[in-house]
Amino acid sequence: MNCLCRAFIVHRSSFIVLILLLTACAQKSPIVVGSKNFTESVILGEMVAQKLESAGCTVDRKLNMGGTFVCDSAMTSGSLDTYVEYSGTALEAILKQPKADVVAAYAKRGLHWGPPLGFNNTFAMIVRRDDAQRIPLQSISDLGKVAAQFQPGFGYEFVERPDGWNGLLHAYGIAFAKPPKTMDLGLTYKALASNEVDLIAGNSTDGLIESLGLIALADDRHYFPRYDAAIVYRNDIDKKCRGASKALETLRGRLDDAAMRRLNFEVDGRKRDVAAVVHDALGR
Amino acid sequence: MTASLFRDILRVTGEHMLIVAIAVGVAIVLGIPLGIYCTRNPRAGRVALRVIDAIQTIPSLALFGFLIPVPFIGGIGMRTAIVALILYSLLPIVRNTFVGIRGVDPVVRDAGVALGLTSRQLLFDVELPLAMPSIVAGIRIATVIGIGVATIAAAVGGGGLGTFIFRGVAMVDTRLILAGALPAAALALIADVVLSAVERKLMNDER
Repeated sequence: MNCLCRAFIVHRSSFIVLILLLTACAQKSPIVVGSKNFTESVILGEMVAQKLESAGCTVDRKLNMGGTFVCDSAMTSGSLDTYVEYSGTALEAILKQPKADVVAAYAKRGLHWGPPLGFNNTFAMIVRRDDAQRIPLQSISDLGKVAAQFQPGFGYEFVERPDGWNGLLHAYGIAFAKPPKTMDLGLTYKALASNEVDLIAGNSTDGLIESLGLIALADDRHYFPRYDAAIVYRNDIDKKCRGASKALETLRGRLDDAAMRRLNFEVDGRKRDVAAVVHDALGR
Repeated sequence: MTASLFRDILRVTGEHMLIVAIAVGVAIVLGIPLGIYCTRNPRAGRVALRVIDAIQTIPSLALFGFLIPVPFIGGIGMRTAIVALILYSLLPIVRNTFVGIRGVDPVVRDAGVALGLTSRQLLFDVELPLAMPSIVAGIRIATVIGIGVATIAAAVGGGGLGTFIFRGVAMVDTRLILAGALPAAALALIADVVLSAVERKLMNDER
């Protein structure tokens, strides 16, 4: 404060700075923005934070907090004002009502299921792009053409879960000649890229899809549930900063699957700083 | 326990023993000559021992990541798991061969030289027999550790008892995890008892 006063005496222009600082202090507590503990969630948290800041709100970043349940209980207890959640996760893991209407169910909990960002980070069946062009393969149904030759390779969970590989074969009526090779989930991309397997299961916004020359097949029978990313915020967010919900609304439909994949790759693949990547993305 | 689960356990236990047997077998064939070489060429030997030490520090998943694209020895399956296990098994075998031979009393070695033994005869008739308990101890360590480490074969589709452990972890099913972990522990204990009996016998023969 001492420092500020001296600045005030020395420079007249500092008066403006002081006014600005005082108004900042007069503002109510900052909006707390959270995220879960994986790259995509941190990117989205940073995006929400930067958007709120550009609307003149003060923001307290609590990124990389933990899993779904940490974020959700922080929201309901009021120690977090906003974060990005996936519709599938909200219905299955948080609400435990797969068939519910997510907007209405959240309203009942005093939370607002806000604007969807435009991408769907669901499970994806992934093949090499050259295979996809040669055969050709565009959707999961097309896998019927290669069921005799293709070698699938998955992590243990996808093979074990009833709503994983077996359910998918059943839903699409496809029978593969070769049983899947099971391995550590983290090795599946490497195995696909080195032609050890021909089909893997990943997430549709994985940055590696882009960088390794792979393609995610369309889920033409809608077997996998949707995981649409949306901004969740507390109903009182506009009381903390007027115009906050309006600013978040401008992010509606801003990112499609490919755009999210690129952002993930910028951070994971090229090791760029999250804040810089988000800044570039919002600037565009 | 259902009959089919029991059959599965027997099958993957067989796979597991096969992986360890091949890996330790190859590590013996490579490791003992390498250990002898290290005693004969101290400078190159030091480098070789450092390299083998360093291999031990590579996490298995990272090693698999390197091996998957390598032709002939890599890929997805049991082969990659065996190659990784051979690399991990080298340390105790090479090190114990090296230490065992270097530990031979110089007086004994000099006596052999005085008797006019060639260096080949010295190795096979004096040094190796005296180093044998140490070498067998190395094989025993490699086998017991290998039985535990071989559970990571399941991470590259190599089969073995790790399959149950990985499936159990993915499904949060303690029963499945135990179905892999308990037989692995039993195998390790059995191997330890058998090999320590061999070790003891060699010690007694020496006297």
